Amino acid sequence: MDLPYDTRPDPEEYLQAVLEWHFHPNTGSPYWLERAKSLDFDPRRDVRTFDDLRLFPNVANEMRKVPAQALIPRGYGPTPEIVGVYESGGTTGAPKRVVCPRDWLDRLIAWSNANLNEHGFPRGVDWLGLVPSGPHIVGEIFRRSAATHGRHGFQVDLDPRWVKKLIAAGKKDEADSYAEHVIDQAEFVLRTQDVGVLTITPALLERLVRRDELVALVNEKVRAIRWGGTQLDPDTHHLYRTEIFPGLVLYGHYGSTMILGIAGQRVPAGEEDTCVFDTFSPYVTFSVVDPRNRRLVPYGERGQVVMNHLSKALFLPNNLERDLATRVEPLPGCIGDAVADIAPVSHFENEAVVEGVY
Amino acid sequence: MTDLIQLDVLGPAGPYRSRNRATVADVSGRPVAELSLAPTVYVDRAMAALRRATPLPLDERVAAIAHAGQLFATSTINGQTVAEYEHAVSRVGGIPIQVVRAATATAMRRTEQLYNNLQHARPWGAVGDWRDPLTHAGRAVWSRRGEVFAVHAAGNHPGTHTLWPEALALGYRVAVRPSRREPFTPHRLVTALRMAGFGDDHVMLLPTDHAAAESLLRGADLAYGSDEVIRQYADDPLVLPLNPGRSKILLTAETDWPKHLDTIVDSISHHGGTGCVNATAVLVEGDPAPVAEAIADRLALLPNLPPEDEKAVLPVQASSVARALEKFVLDKATGARALLGGAGFVEELGDGSAVLRPVVHQLERPDDPRAGVELPFPCLWVAPWSREAGIVPLRNTLVLGVHTKDERLISALVDEPSIANVYVGAHPTYWTDTGIPHDGHLAHFLMRTKGFIRG
Repeated sequence: MDLPYDTRPDPEEYLQAVLEWHFHPNTGSPYWLERAKSLDFDPRRDVRTFDDLRLFPNVANEMRKVPAQALIPRGYGPTPEIVGVYESGGTTGAPKRVVCPRDWLDRLIAWSNANLNEHGFPRGVDWLGLVPSGPHIVGEIFRRSAATHGRHGFQVDLDPRWVKKLIAAGKKDEADSYAEHVIDQAEFVLRTQDVGVLTITPALLERLVRRDELVALVNEKVRAIRWGGTQLDPDTHHLYRTEIFPGLVLYGHYGSTMILGIAGQRVPAGEEDTCVFDTFSPYVTFSVVDPRNRRLVPYGERGQVVMNHLSKALFLPNNLERDLATRVEPLPGCIGDAVADIAPVSHFENEAVVEGVY
Repeated sequence: MTDLIQLDVLGPAGPYRSRNRATVADVSGRPVAELSLAPTVYVDRAMAALRRATPLPLDERVAAIAHAGQLFATSTINGQTVAEYEHAVSRVGGIPIQVVRAATATAMRRTEQLYNNLQHARPWGAVGDWRDPLTHAGRAVWSRRGEVFAVHAAGNHPGTHTLWPEALALGYRVAVRPSRREPFTPHRLVTALRMAGFGDDHVMLLPTDHAAAESLLRGADLAYGSDEVIRQYADDPLVLPLNPGRSKILLTAETDWPKHLDTIVDSISHHGGTGCVNATAVLVEGDPAPVAEAIADRLALLPNLPPEDEKAVLPVQASSVARALEKFVLDKATGARALLGGAGFVEELGDGSAVLRPVVHQLERPDDPRAGVELPFPCLWVAPWSREAGIVPLRNTLVLGVHTKDERLISALVDEPSIANVYVGAHPTYWTDTGIPHDGHLAHFLMRTKGFIRG
């Protein structure tokens, strides 16, 4: 479990080590040691393969209430080095919470930085991030990436929960003003600092692109854009790549606080606009399933994403996310699925009758 | 499938084919075309390009619109002949082919007459251009309220697209977001306008999904249309919603109504009953039963035919859509006296599509709210009316056909602000002509007057 990020352990040996750690009375977390009592199987004995993880219930919802302290494995000792407690988006009720120990974040960032190198991100430049500083883990990942791969990280804070609340309340104008304020803040940094990497959400990038002078500024200064948070559709990606930001590196990640990290975009084989995301296997694995029976869908088909996080820091298997994705074959040596075309559950036009003739 | 008709976005740099495309199916569910959907970023940039463009001189605009109308009605456009275009509209929209053909002819006539129509809309004291010699002494000048106009087009009838070219004639740059229900007509018309001389950055077709539709509103100075995006902004003075027609006919007691039965029945079922100008309700002073019976007898004779049949007169929809309408109407009509279609009105054609047959119900009171239930097929409510009920039940009407000799009543109806058009005597509700406003002149939304004098 303490291997360097680029050493790929045998998946099943690794799985055994993780289960041994999280379910051994000396090393497991108070939460799992207590929760294991209600399971009708013995995790250390009965779970042999990644497929067997399906035996576990989806406990993600319990993360809304569990005291953070109870999630830290005892094996970290009395003074564990904790980077922070992070929350999921909180869009489906109360936020869910996980705890991030330092060793995990270091490993994740080392893996992520190697990805950035592969995609041709410049090193040693300043970064500008339009991401929530907290309580989501993405803010921490931004700061660490900027400081270890780049130089200084400039941040513009944003609160996606507040925006969602405004939109749900029909206050679209207020949500708009807030987003424009965020772009204004970004403009100050872009105008005065030596920004080489921009980290941003697709929605904010779309808004930034409405200002011609900011498009010019980004093209002049920025050399790579890292986007994440929601889907960037292939048509928009194509426009960015060919017309709006030609010559810039575009790199996406698909993250979730509940996996304590991100999946990274695969280096495109050529002029591609469909982004495939690979996980940090075997620590983080996805499967794309038919939501009705939880069976894997065939490669190329769409289904719902199930996430597993298995590291020394956290054991959170079998977490069914809201997102839909296309199932893609993993890279050689990786386990689980790669995913593409992430999208929230689609809306279909129904045949309810609306009065009128139009 | 590669043989589907491709309806590209018509954007600032010409046609654009996106990966995200909506399938356009005919009434039997068979895919006919793919409609490219522009992403938000594309729409934002397209709207900015419209704003940057300088309008052509008035003469050129008017000539190009007339030329475009000719091309639209007579030429092969995007590889589609006129007959192929009309067949596609008929099969996809379920509109009888003769209705589509009539709309093609009307489109040509309207574009020819467009400038003339605008002169009828201009305040008589205002000149159309500051260079008019009258402005030396001071005059009102008719001027645009903005530069960019967005149309969220209706898909019920191809004729709805003959209105917005007026905005182009007035110097607006126009973005049309087609209805997915029938995108062929706006695609053909925008292409024809470009062939006739309008630049790609003067008139665009921007099909989008719901989210990107907001970009059209944001990027435009003024907008009009009928869809839910527009309805959200209905209170915005810069947005003009197309309201339900709820057209009506009133027969007062002294009317020899059997003499007008042809006009009445025609008002209900012309255009296949798909238009906002088709009568939704007939109000009768005295006993409405004989009128309802006579109308029902006539409407019962209309044949069940696929829309592309030369003799088709009734609209056709996918069976699932037709069944949903049927359930809706039967639920609504509970308790009303059914004269036609009371046990169902959907006639399956066997290929997944179904004819929507006429429906006639008699109501007991003039103020029964069901008299305002308007649907895209001949679905009529007949109700009693009395002098005591007055004009209240006649409010909120696009076209009111009135058969009466009572001039005081006519005055009251003309004075009523929520009635758009009043046609007295033997004129069908769908009648129109050059200079006749549809729901007020569109130009009154697009233009203002400005005081002007020069020395």
